[in-house]
Amino acid sequence: MSQIEIKSLNAYYDKLHVLKDINLNVEKGEILSLIGPSGSGKSSLLKMLVGLLTPKSGEVTLNNNQVNYTNKTDLRKIREQIAIVFQQYNLFQNMNVLKNVCIAPTKIQKRNQKEVEDQAVSLLEKVGLKDKLKSYPDELSGGQQQRVAIARALCLNPEILLLDEVTSALDPELVQEVLDAIRILAAEGMTMLIVSHEMSFVKEVSSRVVFMDNGSIIEINEPKIIFENPKEKRTLDFVSKILKDK
Amino acid sequence: MGYTLVYTQVLEFFPYLIRGALISLQIAILAFFGGMFFGLIFATIRTFGNKLMNNLVIWYVTFFTNTPQLVQIYFLFFALPEFGILLSPFVAVLVGMTLNAAAYLCEIQRAGFLSIRQNELDAAKTLNFTLTQQVKYVILPHIMKVLFPPLSNHYIIMTLGTSMAAIFGVEELTGRAFNINSETFRSVEIFSLTALVYIVITFIATFLLALIGRYFFKAKMRIIQ
Repeated sequence: MSQIEIKSLNAYYDKLHVLKDINLNVEKGEILSLIGPSGSGKSSLLKMLVGLLTPKSGEVTLNNNQVNYTNKTDLRKIREQIAIVFQQYNLFQNMNVLKNVCIAPTKIQKRNQKEVEDQAVSLLEKVGLKDKLKSYPDELSGGQQQRVAIARALCLNPEILLLDEVTSALDPELVQEVLDAIRILAAEGMTMLIVSHEMSFVKEVSSRVVFMDNGSIIEINEPKIIFENPKEKRTLDFVSKILKDK
Repeated sequence: MGYTLVYTQVLEFFPYLIRGALISLQIAILAFFGGMFFGLIFATIRTFGNKLMNNLVIWYVTFFTNTPQLVQIYFLFFALPEFGILLSPFVAVLVGMTLNAAAYLCEIQRAGFLSIRQNELDAAKTLNFTLTQQVKYVILPHIMKVLFPPLSNHYIIMTLGTSMAAIFGVEELTGRAFNINSETFRSVEIFSLTALVYIVITFIATFLLALIGRYFFKAKMRIIQ
């Protein structure tokens, strides 16, 4: 039994068919990377999983329970299990770092304030931001904001973490600090779906890589095969172009 | 030109003048909150309403922000009786200022709506915030921070604008100054004193509003100008 099972799933933005007949299984503890050109549906797939894009047909099962994305109770439940980190961090600008991390666990999950704060501080320490607890997002660099966003997602104690191009809005020298934070999590065995353009990172951390193009999954394989000897021609075209640009 | 300033005579009227200032404040506060109320409705229509309603509001705002407020109040006071609607001077001024404020405050509040950041709402949704929680924790704090300074400015402008009521015979601060002038002919003294009272009123308001804005809404406002 896989942790996430997606079967024949289709989704649209208005009339634009962004996810076409998606079939994908994700195992517990797996680190699955999604790669592909812009507009290929990688981010849409992550947004669909947390209910920001409602699927039109097909099914999603999470831990063997089928998810109905139009049902509020189901949405609440999956959002308790799956956390997402966005490309643009999406921090609450009117709250300081600690409040950003603590607000959902305390006000939404109604957990104990003291316990949540202790966890938040240790998470922020883990991502190297212990001295920024009282800072506001606009006082932080992009890399620091992104690490706060990662801590905010982790403080929900999710089973699955989705990372949507978390380094693509960052300066090259800030990318490494965010990737280091993700490496720590990867080592701890959390299930992760990563959309990324950092190919060397993808190759290093992923258990499997999914190549998407134009809304469809073209190939799913081990990173070594995807990058060195892909089965599909489109994968090869994409990978060789990316590697040549480097 | 040996004009000698003599304040003793006009100072006898000081309590009378201050009671007039209270009427000025009354008009400003009522018209401001009336304008906020209708402005909020209009801003909501501008943001979420259908095309017809939206166009009606656009015409309303265009009309009221492109004609002098004095002409608007003249219309209410002198033209409406032709249609059988008779307003007292106080009511005409209050209604006129409210309608005018509604147009400006609609635009200010609409700017606040437009400044809501969709990506913060996306984050809030995925963190399982209900709509009420999104409003309470994300939307309102942001909107208040953005809107408080321009709203405060508009309130100050309206406070000074109440002097227009004197033209219609409302005995507020300027109206009473005019009365005192007619009785004493101490023009320099009475109008300088009146100006001072206006300055004190707006300074106090600016100070209090900046205090509220900074400490409750984290708005960027200077307390001492």
